[in-house]
Amino acid sequence: MFEIKRGVCEMTDMLSKTEEIAKKAKTLGADQVIAKTIVGKYRQVRFSNNQIDITVAWNDYSTDVTLAWKKRLVATLIHNFEGIDASLKQLLKLAKISQENPTFGGFAKGKFHYAKSKADRKLEDLEKPTDYVFEAIEAAEKEAGKVDSGGILLTKLEDVYLASSEGPVGVDSRSSIEFSIRAFAEREASGHGVECCSTLKDFKPARAGAKAGRIAKLAKGPKLGEEGVYDVIYDPLIHGSLLGVWGSMVSAYAVLVKNSVFVDKLGKKVAPETVTLKDNPAAYSLSNRVFDDEGVPAKDNTFIDNGILKTYLHNASTAKMFKTETTGNAGLVYPTPWNIEMEAGDRSKDEIFKNVKEGLYLTNTWYTRFQNFVKGDFSTIPRDGMFLIKNGEIKQSLKDLRVSDNVLTMLGNIDAISKERQHVHWWGEADPPSLAPYILIKNVHMTKSK
Amino acid sequence: MSQGWEGMDKDIADFALECARSKKVEYAEVRALSQVQDGVMLRNGVVEAYVSAVDSGFCVRIIADGGIGFASTNKWTKGEAETIVNMAHKYAKSAKRKDKLVFAEKKGVKTKWTVEQKKKIENVSPEERISTLAEVNKALVSSKVKIPATMTSCQINLITKYFVNSEGSRISSFVPKIGAFMFITVAEQGKTEQAYNQFGYSGGWEAFNTWKMPEKMVHTAKVLKDVITKAKTVKPGNMDLVCGPEVTGIAAHESCGHPMEADRILGREMSQAGRSFIYKGGPFWIGKKIGSKAVTVVDDPTVAHSYGYYEYDDEGVKARRRFLYKEGLINEFLQNRESAAKLGVESNGSSRSTNYDREAIVRMANTFVLPGEMTEEELIKDVKYGVFMKSFTEWNIDDKRFNQRYVGREAYLIEKGELTSPVARPVIETTTQKFWTAVDAVSKKVEFEAATCGKGDPSQGIPVYTGGPCLRLREVYVK
Repeated sequence: MFEIKRGVCEMTDMLSKTEEIAKKAKTLGADQVIAKTIVGKYRQVRFSNNQIDITVAWNDYSTDVTLAWKKRLVATLIHNFEGIDASLKQLLKLAKISQENPTFGGFAKGKFHYAKSKADRKLEDLEKPTDYVFEAIEAAEKEAGKVDSGGILLTKLEDVYLASSEGPVGVDSRSSIEFSIRAFAEREASGHGVECCSTLKDFKPARAGAKAGRIAKLAKGPKLGEEGVYDVIYDPLIHGSLLGVWGSMVSAYAVLVKNSVFVDKLGKKVAPETVTLKDNPAAYSLSNRVFDDEGVPAKDNTFIDNGILKTYLHNASTAKMFKTETTGNAGLVYPTPWNIEMEAGDRSKDEIFKNVKEGLYLTNTWYTRFQNFVKGDFSTIPRDGMFLIKNGEIKQSLKDLRVSDNVLTMLGNIDAISKERQHVHWWGEADPPSLAPYILIKNVHMTKSK
Repeated sequence: MSQGWEGMDKDIADFALECARSKKVEYAEVRALSQVQDGVMLRNGVVEAYVSAVDSGFCVRIIADGGIGFASTNKWTKGEAETIVNMAHKYAKSAKRKDKLVFAEKKGVKTKWTVEQKKKIENVSPEERISTLAEVNKALVSSKVKIPATMTSCQINLITKYFVNSEGSRISSFVPKIGAFMFITVAEQGKTEQAYNQFGYSGGWEAFNTWKMPEKMVHTAKVLKDVITKAKTVKPGNMDLVCGPEVTGIAAHESCGHPMEADRILGREMSQAGRSFIYKGGPFWIGKKIGSKAVTVVDDPTVAHSYGYYEYDDEGVKARRRFLYKEGLINEFLQNRESAAKLGVESNGSSRSTNYDREAIVRMANTFVLPGEMTEEELIKDVKYGVFMKSFTEWNIDDKRFNQRYVGREAYLIEKGELTSPVARPVIETTTQKFWTAVDAVSKKVEFEAATCGKGDPSQGIPVYTGGPCLRLREVYVK
C-alpha cells in the first residue's frame, strides 16, 4: 500500500515508484507508457436550509497507467504498488488482444522544465470549514433579509507524479477551494453566487453569499416571461456555462466525433472581432496544473483570436492527425479543455446595462441539451434571477423562460464584453471552470411552456 | 483477504465499524465496494482505447450529535480505517445543527443477494467484446446510409458490495452491469442529423442478444436520413400527441420521478439538482391531482435484469415498487432513511450511491408508466390530426421540474388515424400538470430504455430504466 508522508523525501519516493512502473512496463514489452500517481485529499461541506447536511472527506491514492503496444492503447487504475507486476502483465496481455488504432500517433516526447507549483497546502484539511459556510449565509441574509440557502464548499489538494517512457517526468501539486451558494428569498426568487480560488489567500465566500442574496432579493415577485427575441445580458455565471460549451467543442476529439460546431471551421470567422477565447490552466484557476497527462507543459492557448478560430485543443496524437503541435491538453485518452478565458472587453458592466433599451438579464442556467452538435441547435433553462431590463434598468423579475437558440449564432451575436471578469465554476453546469466577463448577446430566442 | 473478493477486505470494513461504534455515535455504517471495470471506446468502429481496472475502497458514515460525517478511502489498512472513522466522527459533531438529524427506524438485516448471469461476462474474451461492438458498425456500413462519424462505448462493471451498520445489518451483494452507448452522425444532401442510443442491463453477456443493437442503430440511422430527406415540419397549434415509450419514459423520469424525490422536496439538493414543484404548504402534495386518471407512474428497482436493479438499497433497506403518481394523484415520494425521518414515514429503499466514495442519496431505479388496455394502433386510430413522437432528441426541464421540453427524433404526422409522413423535430414545451392531465389513453405494451440519471455533487451518474407504454395526449400545443 502507499505510504503518504509529507516532505521532499516522500515526494521523491513517490515519483521513483511512479517511474518504476513506467520502466517496468517497458521492460515487460510496452512500446510506450505513462504512469500518473495521484495522492488526493478532497473535503466537502454540503448545506441546505441554512444548516450543515453533511461533511465529507475523500482520500484517494491511485496510479493511472496508460500504455501502447503496436498502436493498441490500453489503460488501468492501480491502488496498490504491491501487485504492480501482475497488473502490468495483465494490461499488456489486454493490449495484445485488443485492436490497432491506426490514428494513435504516440505519446508526447521530450524532456521538459516545469513551472513551480503554487499549491496551498493549507487546503489539505481546513480546521473549521463550516465557518466559511456560515459566513456566506450571513452575507446573503445581510443583502436579502431572511433567506433559505444551500450549497457546497469543496477543497482539493492533489500531489501528482508523472513518468512517461517518452521523456517527461514531473511532480505537480494542485490545490483549489470552491464555494457555491444558492439563496432563496421566496419560493421562486433565488440567486446563485460562486467563489473559486486555487489558494485560501484570495478566498472570500461572503462575496458569493452577498451576490446570491442580492439577486434573490431582486428576483422577488417574478412574473411569467413572454416568448420572443431579446437582447440578453449574461452574468459571468451563466456565461461560464456557454464558455464551457464552446471550450469543450474546441477539443480535437469533439471535432473528430462531430460533437462540435467547430467542425471544418479552422481559420474561419466564428465570432465578432472583439471576441478572443483562450484555454489557460493558470495558477489562479481551479484547473491549475504545470503539465498535462502526457507531461507536456500546460500553457495558455488562444483558440479564437479576434473572432477567428485558430486552433483546436490537442494531445500529441490528435496533433499528429491535424498536422500540428500538441497544445498541452492531453487527458487520459483525448484532449480536454482546462480553464476557458474570454478576453476582457472595453466597457464596464454598468455601461453594458445602460445601453440596453429593452432586454433580459440572465444570471444562471442548467440543463443545456443539443439537437445537433454540428449545427449547434440547443436549449437551456435559466434559473435563479431572470430580469426584464428597460432603458438600462432592471424593471421586473421574470420566470419560466427557456433559451432555445444556436450556440454558433449566439457566439456571432456577442455585442459587448465587460472589463470585469469573474472566475466561475459550479457543478457540471458551468464546467470546465472559466474566467467570464458580462456579455451582451443580441437577438436571443426565448420560449416558454404552453 | 476475507472471502477472496477482488480488492476488498471485509475484515477491515468490520474493523472500521467497530472503531466507529467505540465512539459516542447515534449511528454508524461502513459500505465497502469493489468494481471490476472494463471499458472500450471505438471511433468509426476502430478501438480508441481499452480500459480495465479494479477500483475498491470503503466509506464510513456516522451520525453524532445530530450531524452526519462521511469519509472514504481506497487504502485497505487498519490505520487508514481509524483515520477515516475519526474524520467522519469529527465532521458529524462539527455540524452543530439546530434540528438534529436522525434516520427512520429500520431493523438490521443479514442477507446476501446476487444477479445471475446466463452467459458469464468473465468468460467472454476482450476480443469477443470488441468484435460484438464492431458488428454494429458493420451493420451501419451495410445500411447504405451516409454516416461520417460514430462513437461507441461499452462499460462493464462487476460490482461487489459489503454493507454493515451499527444496527446489526450485514449485507453482501454482487451485481454485474453492462452498458453501451452509440452516437451517430448522418449526412445527406449537405445536411446532418445526429442521435444516440443507450443500452443497459444487470446480468451477463446475454444482454447483447436482448438489445439487438445493430438493428436498433440501423433503424436510428434510417430515421435520421428520413428526417433530412423526407420529413415535413409541423404547423404549430393545438393537436393530439401520441408519445412512444421512449418519450413516455423520459417524461416519467423527469416530471414524475425527480420531483417525487423526498430530499429534493425537503430542499437538500436546492443548490444543484434543485427543488420540486411539490412542497409542504404548496398546491401540490400527497393526494393532490397532477394528471388524469389514466396516469399511474411507478418506480421499481425489482424489475428483473433492469439497469436499475437492486434488492437492498445502499442503506440496507429492502427494495420495493413505489407508486409515485397513482391514477393521476400524487401518491408516494422516493425516500431514504434521512428524508423518511423528516417526513415521519418509513424509507422505501431509494438510497443509492455510485461508488464507495459517494454518499448514498435518494435516487430513482426504473421509472415507468403502468400500461392500459389499448393497442398502439387503437391509440393512433382515434386521432384526427396530430403527431406520433416515437423518440426524442433535445430535452430538458427546469429545476422545480415543472416546465419541460421534448423535441421529437422519430416522429410522424397522424391524419385521420393513419401515420402519413415523417415530421422533422416537432416540439412539445409544456408544464408537468398539463402534460399528465392531457393523457386520455395508455397502450398496453411497456418498453424500457436505459439511461444514466445525474444527481449529487460530485455528480453520481446512476443506471436507470425509463419507460412505459404509448400515451395519447389530447389537444396539446405542438410546434
